[in-house]
Amino acid sequence: MIRLLIISFIVFITTSFDIEESVWIIQTGQIHFRSEAPLEVIEATSKELKGVIDTKNRTFAFTIDVKSFNGFNNLLQQTHFYENYMESVEHQQASFTGKIIEKTVLSKDGVYTLRAKGKLKIHGVEQERIIKSQVAIKDGTLQLRAFFTIFLVEHDISIPKIVHQKIAEEIQVRVEAALEKNR
Amino acid sequence: MSIRPIILSLIIGCLALLSNAQSPFFKMHQIGETYRNAKIELIFEAQNSLLWIGTSEGLFSYDGLEFVPFLKSDSTSNHVRSVFQNEKGVLWVGYHDGTVWYLEKQQLNKWEPEEGTPSVPIMGFAEDHNGNFWLASYGEGIYYKSENHLYNINTDDGLLGDDIYVMKTDKLGRIWVGTDGGISICEIRNKEKIINNLTRDDGLPDEIVREILEDDDGDFWIGTYDKGVCFYDFEKEKFEYPLSNWDNGIVSKLEIFKDRELWIGTEGNGVWLLSLLDGTLQKLSNQNQLSGSKIHDLHKDIEGNIWVISNLHGICHANRQFEFIPITTGADFENIQSILADRENKVWVGTEKGLFTHELDELGNSFFTQHLKNQSLNVISLYEDNFENIWIGTFGDGVYIFNKRTLKIRRLTEKDGLSNGSILSMNGVNDKIWLATLGGVTELQLNGDPLENGSLSTRNLNQEDGLGTNFIYKVFVDSKARVWFATDGKGISVLENGSIKNFQKAAHYHEDEPGSEEVLLKAVYSITEDQQGHIWLSTAKEGIFEFDGKEFKHLTVKEGIRDLAITSLITDKKGNILIVHPTGLDILKPETRHLIYYDKAVGIEDIDPNLNAVCKDRNDNIWIGCKNGIIKYLPLNESLEIHPRTRLSNVSIFLEPIDFHSDTTFLYDQNNLVFDYLGLWYTDPSTVKYRYQLVGYDRDWIFSKDRKVTYSNLDPGTYSFNVASTENDAWLDEPIISYSFEVLPPLWQRWWFILLVLLSAGGIFYWYQKARDKRIQRVNLLEKEKAESNLAALKAQINPHFLFNSFNTLVTVIDEDPKTAVQYVEKMSDFYRTMLEYRDKDVIPLAEELALVKNYTYLLERRFGENFKVNLNMSVEQIYLAPLTLQILLENAVKHNIISKTKPLTVNIYMNGDDYLVIENNLQLKIRPEKSTQFGLQSLIKRYELLTGKKMKIEETEDTFRVEIPVVK
Repeated sequence: MIRLLIISFIVFITTSFDIEESVWIIQTGQIHFRSEAPLEVIEATSKELKGVIDTKNRTFAFTIDVKSFNGFNNLLQQTHFYENYMESVEHQQASFTGKIIEKTVLSKDGVYTLRAKGKLKIHGVEQERIIKSQVAIKDGTLQLRAFFTIFLVEHDISIPKIVHQKIAEEIQVRVEAALEKNR
Repeated sequence: MSIRPIILSLIIGCLALLSNAQSPFFKMHQIGETYRNAKIELIFEAQNSLLWIGTSEGLFSYDGLEFVPFLKSDSTSNHVRSVFQNEKGVLWVGYHDGTVWYLEKQQLNKWEPEEGTPSVPIMGFAEDHNGNFWLASYGEGIYYKSENHLYNINTDDGLLGDDIYVMKTDKLGRIWVGTDGGISICEIRNKEKIINNLTRDDGLPDEIVREILEDDDGDFWIGTYDKGVCFYDFEKEKFEYPLSNWDNGIVSKLEIFKDRELWIGTEGNGVWLLSLLDGTLQKLSNQNQLSGSKIHDLHKDIEGNIWVISNLHGICHANRQFEFIPITTGADFENIQSILADRENKVWVGTEKGLFTHELDELGNSFFTQHLKNQSLNVISLYEDNFENIWIGTFGDGVYIFNKRTLKIRRLTEKDGLSNGSILSMNGVNDKIWLATLGGVTELQLNGDPLENGSLSTRNLNQEDGLGTNFIYKVFVDSKARVWFATDGKGISVLENGSIKNFQKAAHYHEDEPGSEEVLLKAVYSITEDQQGHIWLSTAKEGIFEFDGKEFKHLTVKEGIRDLAITSLITDKKGNILIVHPTGLDILKPETRHLIYYDKAVGIEDIDPNLNAVCKDRNDNIWIGCKNGIIKYLPLNESLEIHPRTRLSNVSIFLEPIDFHSDTTFLYDQNNLVFDYLGLWYTDPSTVKYRYQLVGYDRDWIFSKDRKVTYSNLDPGTYSFNVASTENDAWLDEPIISYSFEVLPPLWQRWWFILLVLLSAGGIFYWYQKARDKRIQRVNLLEKEKAESNLAALKAQINPHFLFNSFNTLVTVIDEDPKTAVQYVEKMSDFYRTMLEYRDKDVIPLAEELALVKNYTYLLERRFGENFKVNLNMSVEQIYLAPLTLQILLENAVKHNIISKTKPLTVNIYMNGDDYLVIENNLQLKIRPEKSTQFGLQSLIKRYELLTGKKMKIEETEDTFRVEIPVVK
């Protein structure tokens, strides 16, 4: 229900001309992930993170196109990532939507630690997560940084046992984004 | 009413006392100067029964004597809001700033889940049936850690509020949280959050739930903001409301004494006690300063102490088993001579000034009401008969029978058949009553209520009937309806089946000595019966005797009875015997003989009790009349700890603490050990005594009040450090804490080292011997081979052929060239001389061998002319050969080959690499070979093998013969 509300809210804010003062929209955003397995380290980055934060309602929504990740060790790996693991044809988007736990008012410049509680959807599987992030507001820009871990099994991403040596079961994710109020 | 500071300055903490009317005797504990401003907010007893105190300035451990601070390692606030110990024993601490720390190796470590920790106060922790770890926050709802992540449950998930006051796990393993909107019951099933809410609609009296307390059955007591306390019965799944009216404000904390009373702590209105026996609510003494305070925490410990944390008094504790009711000002009496609790639990007090009853006002304050004021009674004994009449035994005025309802009175004196007018003790069963007087015993038979025209008959028993004396202190009717009389000077008499038997002699059996010793029972003061049916008596001077019907067992100072001026014995409902004496109270467990002493630490001081002024009420409380008031003893239903909990708190080696849970072996020079130990006894920490023994060093127990002992210079060996503690002086069944360790001998004294040294010495010797043998053998062989080789060479040279040929050559030369002939003879003589010279040597330099060969070659060349040629193709190397090597080989070549003009023999001598000297000739064997023993060649092969360890290589092809000699360097 909450998710539905948030989605309709996103639809609302992206279609509406009358955008509220408290809504921050991602200008540049990137997600980087790192899989550190005994035999191989895989890293990839996408710069196509999209999202909004409404500091008034303390809600947020982030999405990313799974196919936008680059920087794999080789092309075959990238293809595997898209086709075998993420099944990006069916599950094109990964998303995280929810609400900020802290009741901090983000009106002033400053550095804040905020925890976002929401639904993390990857590979079509939703999991409730709390993600801790560092937020710095300065001169009308909101810089966001967060680190978290994705456990593949939680999102039904199964990797063959043989590949365990090459793909970690826990993926380290780093998010960096700059948001601005859309006027 | 006032705070009396007592001069008892302990290491850090110090104590003060709160005096009050009918309430347990509270003792205050202060954290000490450094943390004077710390606001104390909570108390937590860990599994090892060490207390933890949470304050605004940090966490402290408290053993009853010393507060030890445990502070965060960073600079954030140390304001503790919650403490919890999980199943594994890890202590968790929640702070006001939302951080969570846990204790590991005596240090606080920050808990840092990836999800971060709350930014609001941590109000509590819990563990559910799946092993998930929960925390409650004030502002963000609750969190739970399940497998990989930390999850949150708040109002968005259906929680009734985000401000959590209390969190408890119920007996089904679900998590209950008290919020501003009611109770939410949470659990995680298949990773799904399941939340059930209890609100006013479900019967909760108030939606703001401040406290949840689990009782012994696992049911919950719930403290609310406005409506007091309610009870949730899990079986009925229903709320119950034991309090009809509550206007004492916010309930902040609850604690329970099983089936006795619920302690209700309020915010600003002190503590209230809800009796679970009769449902009455009473304030914990209005005269006590806890009354206006805000109660932060309540805790019942394992010894039966109640700890109260309040804003006004910080930490204070009292032993719940004892209350002291002073004779209030205004009551015109002192010195209670007799006491009785009637069927309605009203307590009657007999004094020199008359008869009184103990009453309580609405605020829980005691006062006394006088009865039969007009009679000016000196009451020395009291009894209640089956008709609820109170029998009042006086000194000299006989007995008054009084009914408090009808107010009817009847007096019995000697005229009515009493043996004497002074009645020291009364007791009865059914409608028989025995009066112990100064003139013997009067047995009364009631026929109907004596105040309602019932008749009574009397029978007097005295010395002539078998009674020890006519002066009886106490009548006691046991469970088998036998009547026991405590006589003055003549032991104990018993009336059984109509006849009296007297016991004066007690065989005193010592447990540890064979045989018995007779003790005369003289004046017996008091009698009681234990749960086994044994009769216990106290005497004027000889202590206590246990009588099992056959023999007496004697308990005295040696057994731990600390005061022989015993005034009363009485058995509590658990079967323990209370021994009352002027010093205080000893509680004896008859089966184990274990004693616990209670005195001023629980408020029993200067009591000066009177003979047999004790009684038991219908709630099994025991009332003890004293000079200045009444001690009320409440046997608790909890199974209480009777020993101090002894723990080894630290072991140091040369003052350096070690991890003694795992380290048990030390090097020979780690032999200076310090043991710190402690017996936790919160009731009265200052009384704890210790005994310890280092088995392997001390021959016996060492008794001490110290909490530390040093052993230095321990010899290598195995040791066990044993320590036990007691709060009394009788060392009987105190549990012993033991720590075994070993001081290893130095390396050079250990058996394996010695063995190793012996073995290697033996090995070296053996090897040396072996090598020596081998060397000697080789030298011998060499000698033999040398001799053989020399022999071969000599033989060859003295060979007649050689000489014949040489002389033939010489003959031809003499004619042609006499000069050369001379030279020839000289060379020949040189050759023989050098050969003789070298034959005893093992090796000779190559140069010398070559000189020899040159001489020899000269002789051969003279003989064969152009047909024999030796090519020496080498520089003279720093190498050695066995003497005559080349000579023998040349000799062989000449011996076996045709040497003619058409078939000349050429011998080449050269080095092959650095290690081999090669001598090679073309092979043109004589058709009729000369007889050969192969002696020379074989001998050479062996000699070289002995000299160099290498084999001489001999190669024979169709046209060459080649020998490679391994040279000696």
